Amino acid sequence: KYCSKIKKKSLSVSLCLIKELCQQFPHGITDQVIQNDMPHLEPQQRAMAINKLLSLGQLDLLRNSSGLLYRMKDMQSTSKMKGSDNQEKLVYQIIEDAGNKGIWSRDIRFKSNLPLTEINKILKNLESKKLIKAVKSVAASKKKVYMLYNLQPDRSVTGGAWYSDQDFESEFVEVLNQQCFKFLQSKAEAARDSKQSPMVQRNSSFATSHEVWKYICELGISKVDLSMDDIETILNTLIYDGKVEMTVIAAKEGTVGSVDGQMKLYRGVNPVIQPTGVVRTPCGLCPVFEDCHEGGEISPSNCIYMTEWLDF
Amino acid sequence: MTAQEVRLCGLLLQEHFGEVVAKVGTHLLKSGAQNLRTIIHETGISLDLVKKSLCVLVQHGTCVFSSGRKAPGSPTEYRTSCDRILRILRYPRYIYTAKTLYGDTGELIIEELLQRGDMTMSSTVKTVADRLTQNMEEGRSMDYSEVSSAFSKLVETHFLQRCPPMAGAGTKDSGTPATPATPAIPESFPDCYRVPHVTLIGRGKRRLSNEDGEDQRNAKKTKMDSETHGDEGIYWQVNFERFHLHFRDQAIISAVANKLDQTSSEIVRTMLRMSEVTTSPTATCTKPLSANEIFRSLPSSYNIPRPILDQYLTLLVDDPMEFVGKAGESGGGMYVVNLHKALANLARATLESVVQERFGSRSARIFRLLLRKRHLEQKQVEDFAMIPAKEAKDMLYTLLSQNLVQLQEIPKTPDYAPSRTFYLYTVNQLPTARMLLQNCYKTVANLIERRLFESKESKRLLEKSQRIEAILASLQASGAEPEQLTEVEEMITAPEKQQLEALRLHINKLDSAENQVDETIFLLESYVNSTATS
Repeated sequence: KYCSKIKKKSLSVSLCLIKELCQQFPHGITDQVIQNDMPHLEPQQRAMAINKLLSLGQLDLLRNSSGLLYRMKDMQSTSKMKGSDNQEKLVYQIIEDAGNKGIWSRDIRFKSNLPLTEINKILKNLESKKLIKAVKSVAASKKKVYMLYNLQPDRSVTGGAWYSDQDFESEFVEVLNQQCFKFLQSKAEAARDSKQSPMVQRNSSFATSHEVWKYICELGISKVDLSMDDIETILNTLIYDGKVEMTVIAAKEGTVGSVDGQMKLYRGVNPVIQPTGVVRTPCGLCPVFEDCHEGGEISPSNCIYMTEWLDF
Repeated sequence: MTAQEVRLCGLLLQEHFGEVVAKVGTHLLKSGAQNLRTIIHETGISLDLVKKSLCVLVQHGTCVFSSGRKAPGSPTEYRTSCDRILRILRYPRYIYTAKTLYGDTGELIIEELLQRGDMTMSSTVKTVADRLTQNMEEGRSMDYSEVSSAFSKLVETHFLQRCPPMAGAGTKDSGTPATPATPAIPESFPDCYRVPHVTLIGRGKRRLSNEDGEDQRNAKKTKMDSETHGDEGIYWQVNFERFHLHFRDQAIISAVANKLDQTSSEIVRTMLRMSEVTTSPTATCTKPLSANEIFRSLPSSYNIPRPILDQYLTLLVDDPMEFVGKAGESGGGMYVVNLHKALANLARATLESVVQERFGSRSARIFRLLLRKRHLEQKQVEDFAMIPAKEAKDMLYTLLSQNLVQLQEIPKTPDYAPSRTFYLYTVNQLPTARMLLQNCYKTVANLIERRLFESKESKRLLEKSQRIEAILASLQASGAEPEQLTEVEEMITAPEKQQLEALRLHINKLDSAENQVDETIFLLESYVNSTATS
């Protein structure tokens, strides 16, 4: 009897000691550290103490490359979970792990192996406690992902700068498109008018993506902060419009605007040909071209598009 | 040959040679090589007319004959091909080019040759001199030697070539079996471009004015000339390939001028001019030219210093369109013009322009995106093009229904279950170009039919106006008073005059539209042919 009392006392002492150690090292302590600090503690008792702390929910068990880590659990969160049961804790853990990308309810079900009804109940519970929130994904508008309440949703979920409340902002994109093009075009014209040697002319008509980004930021037409990547996607659409061409040059690390030792240069270009001959005739643009035959309902002889075009 | 090509050829033959020839020609196009008896049997036209039509077709080089396939000695077979007939559409462009390069003389020479099919040099020179004299003032006439020198110049630059001597059926190597003879390529004959020694001394004769009405261009009447000039049996024809090379060069030069600037296009023009006769028509790129040579050959009006020329050449090489490439470092840098690549780029620009005009600039953006990135999923298309999902889907499906964009399925599982397959959108440039080419043929055929329809509608009015013009001309010739003239003029009422004017405008518009579509046809045809040989 006396033995067990001493054991209990020593257990609570060791518990306090370990908790103090944890508070000393907020990043976590390994088994080795505890052993060094309390060499008199037997491994069995040490294990018992740690288990007690874990079950009380005061310690976190983590694993790193060198072995197991024990860390003091945040007092606030432990108080939060006081009223919840283990299942809720599990679900909360899963959602926390998903970080700011969020996790879909079906995936929570797979990971926790809990039935759907339970999951839904737990999710509702957690939401009412304002521990998690649901965010609509921009990819599939019916899909909801859950993440911790105070986290900012990741760009892939909200769509980044181009989406505001799930709506693609086409006018915003159009405005940016035109502004970038005007900037590049005016730069090219200035270079052409400078009448210097052709090499200098061409080089001065180029603008790096960094320069364009600065120009757009200074214009202040965007309420959202745009990154250089965003500007590059806009410039790419201009390339697909055939108005701009891009080259990549090697740049020294550290020059402003360089990414991975490269810089992207853009410049406005002129179209290679005038609109081609066939589109100047009504047949080139005719919506019923396939149905047109001599002697049919729609034929060259009675074509109304031709009549209009001839009288033009 | 496709149905559209046959239809267009039929219309062209009808306009230029008449109904009967058109019938025989289209019949031959549709049924391949046939001998005389079969043609008569199947078209139901009399022997006489069929013979004459075949003569016309052979004269113009559209029909070739060869001994029968079944056995040597079997009746000769006749064959036509579409491309030669489609050239008829381009005659105005050939004549205009000759005019810009060699003046009125050159223009008339080419015009005469195109109309007659082939002629000897002496008859050409005489006819052209007569025509030129016609248009000159009283008392002046055109010397034969001037016309001869223009003719020689045309031959030197390969715009004209000798017709290959036609071997009569049976006089050819009787030893060899009758293989389906490929039409003899004119250039395989060594004398192709040799101007014969012709004694032509004289001046053009002015025709008397009352013979003016008789159209001296009536090809059916060949004037029997009693003089011989030493070049009997040597017939000349227009070298279409050479003209095509010239057009191709022009297209490349104007593209460079549009994309870069005037000076760069002059440099490219010089390079192309220097390699005119050294490059074969089907070459991928011209022979390498050193920068020194280019510098020496630049036109003197462009006084650019040597280092600046080097800079321009470097810029041309760096341009993403790759008009010019660098082939080596000797002689200050060896440069070539990438002909096939330039044609491919021009064809691509044509396709993009068609999509842009027909479907809008956002669809054009998707089209260009797919051309660059080859294969993309639906989601990726939306992201790269920055177009809202709903609209992007709509545009893609429209393009797909018009066959400008294709769908490629990549299954993840052996059963092609739709939920487990990747669907990628892609654009194939060559098949799309072919399809567009067929559409162009159909467009030209539509324009020609509309023009015929318009003239037919107003036939009565046209006849009336022609009669009145004839009356006026005869009255003027016989010296009538002004009142009589005005009285005759008033026979055409004002609304009729307006109608005539409108009709004239319509027909001009349709004509010029045909020429514009022909430019597109030329680009696409050159591109398709260049991929076939490479």
